[in-house]
Amino acid sequence: MIRIVTLAPYDAADLAWLGKTLYTAFGLGTEIAGERRPPASAELPGGRTDAEKLVQAAGAPRVVADDKILFLAAADLALPPGPLGEPPAWGFSQQGGERAVVSTRRLPARGSTEASVEAWRRRLARECIHFIGHLWELHHCYDPRCAMHPSWSPDLAPIPDAALCNFCREKSERKIRLAKT
Amino acid sequence: MKPESPETEAGSAEGLISDPSSLKPGDRVVYPNQGVCRVTGADVQEIAGQKLELVRMVREEDGAAVLIPRAKVSSVGLRRVASRSYIEGVFHYLAAQSADPELDWKIRHRDNADRLVTGGVLGVAEVVKGLHSLSHIRPLPTKEREQYDSSRHLLVAEISASLGVPPSVAEDYVDYALMPPAGVTFKLKPPPRPVELPVRFARRKPVVKAEEELGLDDMGLELGELAELGEGAAAEEGGEKGEEAAGAEGAEGEAGAGTGEEAGQAPARAAPHAKARPAARKAAPAPKRAAPKKAARPEAKRARAAAKAAPRKAAPAKAARKAPRKPAKGGKR
Repeated sequence: MIRIVTLAPYDAADLAWLGKTLYTAFGLGTEIAGERRPPASAELPGGRTDAEKLVQAAGAPRVVADDKILFLAAADLALPPGPLGEPPAWGFSQQGGERAVVSTRRLPARGSTEASVEAWRRRLARECIHFIGHLWELHHCYDPRCAMHPSWSPDLAPIPDAALCNFCREKSERKIRLAKT
Repeated sequence: MKPESPETEAGSAEGLISDPSSLKPGDRVVYPNQGVCRVTGADVQEIAGQKLELVRMVREEDGAAVLIPRAKVSSVGLRRVASRSYIEGVFHYLAAQSADPELDWKIRHRDNADRLVTGGVLGVAEVVKGLHSLSHIRPLPTKEREQYDSSRHLLVAEISASLGVPPSVAEDYVDYALMPPAGVTFKLKPPPRPVELPVRFARRKPVVKAEEELGLDDMGLELGELAELGEGAAAEEGGEKGEEAAGAEGAEGEAGAGTGEEAGQAPARAAPHAKARPAARKAAPAPKRAAPKKAARPEAKRARAAAKAAPRKAAPAKAARKAPRKPAKGGKR
């Protein structure tokens, strides 16, 4: 079961669409588990939010084994800088764990036209699949059409597909099959 | 003189553990192809009538127990987790412009397997980068896709352990270096020197049985005759090249990696021609006409001449046996 917890207000229709897409991608039930307040302990001085702390400290519903919790936030997430600098943070997930967060801050503007809403939803769904994929121990994929391709890659299409490539899909199915429940 | 083992020839990756007594409970080590492990202690077990001293470890990823005989700690390539400064060098390597990927899948697969075992964390990064750059040319076949995924997993685990960041962040670092966002450039430093791979003796199958493989017996032809059928000047050139190639092959066993590699290339490139030819010949119904045409190809001639060189000429019994069949083709004068 994937439980979606929002840390900012989102349109119910968008969340319903997201739930359907996640079900299609992973074959797992999806539940909209309500809205919570973002934890103050994760806030950084510059107005940014520590992604790792946010995932650890955010309140979540009760879960059973192998449930995954996806937080949707509007905050500007920050990751610890690496040897070559800080990579752009579209989200964060506990690899092989149970919690992930996706930020909608870097998504294109939602707008109000049908096309812009569709593009926004697809990009949101793609990022959610990406970070839930990390929860199922998927690594980044070199295929730009795969949802596991890095979110900042210049090879990514303007409106990327919200689906996994064959290799990643089979790997995720294998992991899900081997899960405890 | 005692020949060096592949391990010693390969040089050593950073932090390679040569003395098992230096391992203490709580140490973090990397077992090649397995990942980051934590030493939990020592153990003595009787296996097949032998008492073995074992180092007991736990793989951090899944808690699997790993036991290594103390005597084999260095030979399996057990090493310490790479230091932070070394890992930084690895990122500079990942972000640097990549060389053209090896296109011969056999060489690539073998070298990648060696890098994963003996190359340390930089070797793992080399595999990831090499397969990544190859994926820009064509999609990876299933086995290499799996190798790419597992080497990425090993690299991410070691970076995560070394830098003390979550694995997903370590993976972001890797891909930030491999695929920087548009407009981002890095000030790169020279990366660490990669560990040399083991020298492979007899890394290419020498083309000595070319005649049998070509199926020339069926046609009553010999390689030397085919060479003579072509242009005279080209045949002479082929002879010279053949001598060179034969010399290089002879030196392959003694030479180091550089010369051995070059010497190994020549027969390997010739081999596909040799393999492809019998099929073509079977398909062609008129071998008498086909043979001179193929003999005229200069590269084929060189390869055959290299294979034949002098010794083949001294086969009078075979030549005598084939003599009655030669007039049938009518090509030799």
